[in-house]
Amino acid sequence: MVIGNYFIALFGLLFACAANAEAVTPDQPQVTFGGFGSLGVSHSTMSSGDYVLDGGIPKGPGLSNSLSTTNDSRIAGHMAAQMSPKVSVVMQIDAEYHSGNSYEPEVEFANVKYLLAPDTYTRVGRIALPTFMQSENRDIGYTYAWIHPPVEVYRQEQFTHTDGVEADYRLQTGAVGHSIKALYGRATMTTNDPPVLTTLSSKNLWGIFDTAEYGPATFHVGYQERDTNSGYILTGLAETWVKNSDLSFGAQYDPGNWFAISEWIQRKSTYKNNAMYVSAGYRVKTLTPYLTYALRNQSSFLTGFPPPSPDGIRLANRAQSTASMGIRWDFRGDADLKFQLDQVKLSNNSNGFLANVPANVNLYGSKFYVISAVVDFIF
Amino acid sequence: MVNSKSLEIFRNYLALPLFLAMVATNAHAEVVVIVSAKSDVTSLTAEQTARIFLGKTTRFPNGDPAFPIDQVESRSVKAEFYSKVAHKNATQLSAYWAKVIFTGQGRPPIELEGNLTIRNVVEKNKNAIGYIEKRYVNRSVRVVLEP
Repeated sequence: MVIGNYFIALFGLLFACAANAEAVTPDQPQVTFGGFGSLGVSHSTMSSGDYVLDGGIPKGPGLSNSLSTTNDSRIAGHMAAQMSPKVSVVMQIDAEYHSGNSYEPEVEFANVKYLLAPDTYTRVGRIALPTFMQSENRDIGYTYAWIHPPVEVYRQEQFTHTDGVEADYRLQTGAVGHSIKALYGRATMTTNDPPVLTTLSSKNLWGIFDTAEYGPATFHVGYQERDTNSGYILTGLAETWVKNSDLSFGAQYDPGNWFAISEWIQRKSTYKNNAMYVSAGYRVKTLTPYLTYALRNQSSFLTGFPPPSPDGIRLANRAQSTASMGIRWDFRGDADLKFQLDQVKLSNNSNGFLANVPANVNLYGSKFYVISAVVDFIF
Repeated sequence: MVNSKSLEIFRNYLALPLFLAMVATNAHAEVVVIVSAKSDVTSLTAEQTARIFLGKTTRFPNGDPAFPIDQVESRSVKAEFYSKVAHKNATQLSAYWAKVIFTGQGRPPIELEGNLTIRNVVEKNKNAIGYIEKRYVNRSVRVVLEP
């Protein structure tokens, strides 16, 4: 929260400057405000553990509550200021359920963008980490069909932002448009996912990402590396920093009336694992029914590391798959209502991603259902 | 063979909706994409036009800066333009801009009210690009795309 307060103070000052600045582009507003949110509730038929989307959420539907709002409820405010034709500032504050067992607001993005050339810009501050096709907007339910992005894949990278610097270059080669990003920074998040540390830190985080568009087709490829303080958990030895590397691919086809999307990620730390999903939906006026299948494979341990600790084995073994069906209804121009039914299968040697499972309880190979409803809105 | 009863049913229950549907189809304004007659741009593809209006490029294919000017939300010509050029309905467009704005990537084009206003602004600005109903086109602007 110290970093959060620092950002609030810094950007509060910058916005105050922007509000007082002379109009540089009189046709457009200087400072704009907006926001988005989701009100969601979910129920899980698995009562021996909590179904949570990531390690930062301490409880969810299942063991703790029969009905829970923790996974899919949030509200966010957004401010953007154009300070000169080349300099703009963005700040986003997001209130969602997190490790402090509260909806206390946190700074999601806070950065200064400088236009170096018409198709090149750099951003400094707290910026989005674009590991996946929907990772920059994963909190904005209104921007996609699902209740939330597929857990098995998006949980592989729980960091949504990094504090650092990014360069973005847009390039048109024939009919293909590229957006190429490179970034360097660090990230910290508080988790509630024993035995993972309560403060998960990453340093020397760098990545390069390309999103290419060809007509209704979009392709995404990304590679990122970082040092993470999970070494003690994974090996039980004093070496605390372990290099994580992520290779990700995505492809989407969206000609307007329907969409199909698939993403794949491979993470390497002391072990290697893959996760993927495929999803497709069809738009009929204001309704978008869709199907999704997501899978996180068993891990294999890499050579060159100390033997894994029991916790390391437990983390590596976490594997599960989810088959989902759902529907989005755009009942207003700025809001939608969604329902989704998930069938979750845990691997034969793990409790999957369930949280708060008592130590003596073994749910290996279990199958259960999660039903969710959410209203997403923008303002 | 068509008997008189069938004809009566057609007249009473089917003819009017069919007629209304035909009128509705014809009432669809024909949208055209325009630049100033002073511009060096002579033609654009739907894909190139979509990239400019969705903020994915700030330049025309020849390298000149491009300043897109949008119609206001209430205009049917706007729905037709985005449906034909970007294959997006109003909700999909709204979701697209929510993603762009809230991730700090950019802002939508400025909006002006009415075909005449947009034509006049495009006429005077060599780098502007807009879209209007075809019947408002005159010699001061050049049609670069009829989607």
